[in-house]
Amino acid sequence: MTAGAQGQEARLAGGDGLVSLAARPGLRRLLRYASHNRGTYLVWMISTLGYVGMSVAGPLLVGFALAAARAGLPAQELTKRCLWLLLVTLLRGGLRYWSRTLVFNAAREIEYELRNDLFAHLERLPQSFYFRWRTGDLMSRCVNDLGSVRMLLGPGLLSVLQTPILIASFLSAMIAIDAKLAVLVMLPYPAFILIARAFGRTLHRANLALQEGLAELSNGLQETVSGIAVVKAYAMERASERRFDDTNRELYRRQLALVRANAAMPAVVSILPGAAMCIVLLVGGHEAMRGPMTIPNLFTFAMYVYEMTFPTFMMGWVWSLVQRGAASMQRIDQVLSVEPSIADHRDAVPVKSLRGEIEFRHLTFAYPDGRRTPALRDISLSVPAGTSLGVVGPVGAGKTTLASVIPRLFEVEDGQLFLDGIDVNRIPLRTLRRSIAMVPQDSFLFSMSLAENVAYGLPSADLVAVAEAASRAQLARDVAELPHGYETIVGERGVMLSGGQRQRTALARALALRPSILILDDTLSSVDAETEAAIQRGLAEMFKGRTVVIIAHRVSTVRACDQIIVLEEGAIRERGSHEALVAAGGLYARLARDQALEQELDVEAVA
Amino acid sequence: MSVPSGGALAALHEEEALGKAYDARLLGRLWPYVRRYRGQVLLTLLLVFPMFVLELAPAWIVKTGIDRVIAPALGGDALARASAPSSPEHLVWLLRPPGGVAPLVWLAGLYLAAMALGALLQFIHATVMAWTGQSAMRDLRGDVFRHIVRLHLGFFDRYPVGRLVTRATNDVENVAEMFSAGIVALVTDLLKMAGFAVVLFMVNARLAFATFLVVPFLAGATVVFRLRVREAFRAVRVRIARINAVLQETVTGMKVVQLFAREERNLRDFAQINGEHRDAWYDSIRYDSALFAVVEAAGGISVVVVIWYGAGLVTAGLVAIGTLYVFIDWTRRFFLPLRDLSAKYSVMQSSMASCERIFQLLDTAPLVVDPVVPVMPVRPVHGGRGGAVEFRNVWFAYQNEDWVLRDISFRVEPGERVAFVGATGAGKTSLIKLLTRLYEVSRGQVLLDGVDLRELPQAELRQRVAMVLQDVFLFSGSVTDNLRLGREDVDRATIEAAARAVEAHRFIERLPQGYDTELRERGTNLSSGQRQLLSFARALAHGADVLVLDEATSSIDTETEALIQTALRRLWEGRTALVIAHRLSTIQDVDRIFVLHKGRIVEEGNHEMLLARRGVYHRLYQLQYRAQEARALAPQAAAAGGAGGAA
Repeated sequence: MTAGAQGQEARLAGGDGLVSLAARPGLRRLLRYASHNRGTYLVWMISTLGYVGMSVAGPLLVGFALAAARAGLPAQELTKRCLWLLLVTLLRGGLRYWSRTLVFNAAREIEYELRNDLFAHLERLPQSFYFRWRTGDLMSRCVNDLGSVRMLLGPGLLSVLQTPILIASFLSAMIAIDAKLAVLVMLPYPAFILIARAFGRTLHRANLALQEGLAELSNGLQETVSGIAVVKAYAMERASERRFDDTNRELYRRQLALVRANAAMPAVVSILPGAAMCIVLLVGGHEAMRGPMTIPNLFTFAMYVYEMTFPTFMMGWVWSLVQRGAASMQRIDQVLSVEPSIADHRDAVPVKSLRGEIEFRHLTFAYPDGRRTPALRDISLSVPAGTSLGVVGPVGAGKTTLASVIPRLFEVEDGQLFLDGIDVNRIPLRTLRRSIAMVPQDSFLFSMSLAENVAYGLPSADLVAVAEAASRAQLARDVAELPHGYETIVGERGVMLSGGQRQRTALARALALRPSILILDDTLSSVDAETEAAIQRGLAEMFKGRTVVIIAHRVSTVRACDQIIVLEEGAIRERGSHEALVAAGGLYARLARDQALEQELDVEAVA
Repeated sequence: MSVPSGGALAALHEEEALGKAYDARLLGRLWPYVRRYRGQVLLTLLLVFPMFVLELAPAWIVKTGIDRVIAPALGGDALARASAPSSPEHLVWLLRPPGGVAPLVWLAGLYLAAMALGALLQFIHATVMAWTGQSAMRDLRGDVFRHIVRLHLGFFDRYPVGRLVTRATNDVENVAEMFSAGIVALVTDLLKMAGFAVVLFMVNARLAFATFLVVPFLAGATVVFRLRVREAFRAVRVRIARINAVLQETVTGMKVVQLFAREERNLRDFAQINGEHRDAWYDSIRYDSALFAVVEAAGGISVVVVIWYGAGLVTAGLVAIGTLYVFIDWTRRFFLPLRDLSAKYSVMQSSMASCERIFQLLDTAPLVVDPVVPVMPVRPVHGGRGGAVEFRNVWFAYQNEDWVLRDISFRVEPGERVAFVGATGAGKTSLIKLLTRLYEVSRGQVLLDGVDLRELPQAELRQRVAMVLQDVFLFSGSVTDNLRLGREDVDRATIEAAARAVEAHRFIERLPQGYDTELRERGTNLSSGQRQLLSFARALAHGADVLVLDEATSSIDTETEALIQTALRRLWEGRTALVIAHRLSTIQDVDRIFVLHKGRIVEEGNHEMLLARRGVYHRLYQLQYRAQEARALAPQAAAAGGAGGAA
């Protein structure tokens, strides 16, 4: 949650009045979603009215039936009135079921739509967005905030809309019987609402404080465990315990505060209606002794008092729910309002496929995080279709950045990058992504079967294509060792593949696409020299007719490329073929020499 | 629901493996924590009776008002007068108003008093019970932490940090729930329900019987619906976990999603599981609403029964009308806990499950323990320092027989300085870890001053061996805290002296609050060179006989490099030093060098000797020298490397 959003939340939560201006765009958007379900909401209002009607009728009928008994009317009359009461009770139950179901279903429907829209929207957002926004924050909005909105639409709406109608109806019925008593009985309720609201706020704050305390504790624990080697090496166990005890005690204090707030709830819920009942007994009783008020009517009043208790309390209590829901909707709206900047241009050239010619013309690119040093500086380079380009350089030189702009993962300005002679910004995204396959550094695999991962870019998991790609990536042998072969689930929720296996799977995934341009970013770093050689042999066949960009740390990986560039600090320092660069005796040559030594030693260079 | 940590589905399955709600064995293990507060527990149990009476009181007061004050005043109702018998005489004295006070006023006052007192007792009861629970949990949490810290390092290699944190936080919270909504509340509720039933039967058996006819139906319906709700809820939880996992995975791997143009297909798949989740919710909403409706209806039906049957009895002169009020009120109170009974059962189940997990952790025995009979190493007779280190035929593997060290034997005399060199994975770091007994040897012995490490108390060992690791782990706290690392016998003067000796004093003083500057977690507000100097100061402040140093390999500027060199020389003055060397200067300074290759010592000697052999050492030396030379020539490139972002 950004600081701004946090501040917003604080303002909203603490404020007493209507929801602040800042939350309005979010609420407008929410209203739009609600309008998709206006049919449901209409029926809900009708069922609510029915429910309220039955709720009002119940206590009246109780009084009516008792009056029959008091008046000594025949048993059939009593039975008849009781049957009416029974009918009303059953109808009320049914209507309660119906209205509750309707409003909660509508809430879930809106949640469903919102979630879909969020997902679709996130998929359209460019990498520059993901650069700025952290995964945790996004997840929080899609999960926690969405939950708050649902609470707003469910219990929140239920309480805030239904309850006032209920109370107003009860009040009308009571006034019809005895206006004076009705007014007196209602006296405690406004105070009750305010108390419930204050209570809700206190509870919310105590909850937040507790969450903070828990976070504090888990952070401390995490730190201790992460540094457990140091803790042990320096015999810090007792010191750590002391620190933990402090946090533990603080947490305990916050727990107690919450406990007290929680324990106060039933007490609060019972006292004020008790006061109302007291008034019924005292004032109503006197009226009953003297005048038009009857004992059956006392029963009626008593029942109304009882019926009003919980709804009134809920109304006060859910106010903070409503506020939180509004604030959450605002945060969701923030995400949905971001423009997906990488989209097809209006003047997109309708090409269906690319041959694979790449040309950089004075390309300069800086990351959108405000850093003044550009990641790529004045890159001019021509890669004819079907040739290979090797990119080497130290960590942070800009190699991956260079690779990432080709499939337009990051935005570059017009006129700096051309594919097949067309500006990259004018090529339809679909064509671009289908013609270019990239194996990124982190070889991310999804939690699905190996076959599905390899066929990720294909319309379906064609096993023939999968097998071929896998064999070219030297993956076949590994697959044979997996418990279910190609159907083995990999990824976070599946079998943990080794670093090398993951890289080769990512490679197979790219190869399966049969792309015009293949970009390999450090793909063979986790692979030993022998396997690397085998892969390269297999790849040589695949490379024919394709443009290949290979980013590597090892000279041996790129030595066969048609041209090699050495990047440093975002600029091209050297370029040429392997032989030419070695002969030139510069950075590249030194790198080559070191790595040769390393190979003799069968060891990795100390970087 | 809060954002799940990694492996959400796995955690869920763990959570779902619920067993019994009542496991005597587990409760027995929990008892010692509660026993400390048994006074409070007794209090809460004792409070139940007066609380119950105060729950009964209000309705009875109203009945008294109706039957004894209002109805008689209306007169003409011989029936009303005749139906006084339902009030036992010995209760009436309380309800008789003192002279001069209008009866209704008195009753209204009593009513308020009863409510207020009842609310107060309820508050006290809930607070004390929860307070007991929280106190017991605080103690439990402390024990869990103490246990974790004493576990051996190998444990942490296998047990994810996240899970440990869950044990100490979420699981303990779950167990705490047991005290507020679990077993005690359950028992209290059952007692209250029984109480209401008994009292109602005492007032008027026939009416009570008629009223309770609806109870089995309600109980049955509640149980059935509650079960369905729970199942539906489970389905919902599984599906939301799946949705969140997919969401997280998609966001994390968005680059791949976009690169392979999978947006549309992913959306379709997502919409499907999203829809399944919503449908699961529709089910649970249905049952949940049904439950609500049934409970409300049952309450309403019992009112109908009371009115119909009761009014009949009133007409027949068998029951006072006020009794009907009592029946309506008490029946309502009877039904209230019934609705929540099964919810409390679920709480118990999850509390028990958490309890089990916590005790499982507490039952894990630490593998690196102090010996029962410790042996103290003898200091050399000639008054010199201790610190002789010997490895005898040491073999070590982290797992199974994947040997990292093979048959290592060597001896280092007190005050001697030796360096270990070798390629990555040659075993150097593991060797260091064995020396400080962070891990146990698989075969062979490690001896300090002639005593096997296993016979030395760990505290003693750590006192004599100071470790400086590659990854300088700094805790959140002040500079002083990090230098002292919790040892009270290290005073400020010692710390400053140590800092001065390693050339750290100057930069520390220049920090915003000097020695009291708060370091951020992992010390990220310092440069790597500064962190290394701090770690030297730390080791020096602890004053050990043996220094074990794993030199950092990250590149730093030449100025700090020189500082570190000087600092190191000061640090190992008069100490035995075992260094995993990466710096040229370090190698040149030591007395002996051991060359490790694939877990074995392949060469040994001093620098010149080894170079002349033109063997493994020679090649390593050449490589590292060249690497350092390259770094010296292009320091800016190295510096930019750190700041480059996703390159």
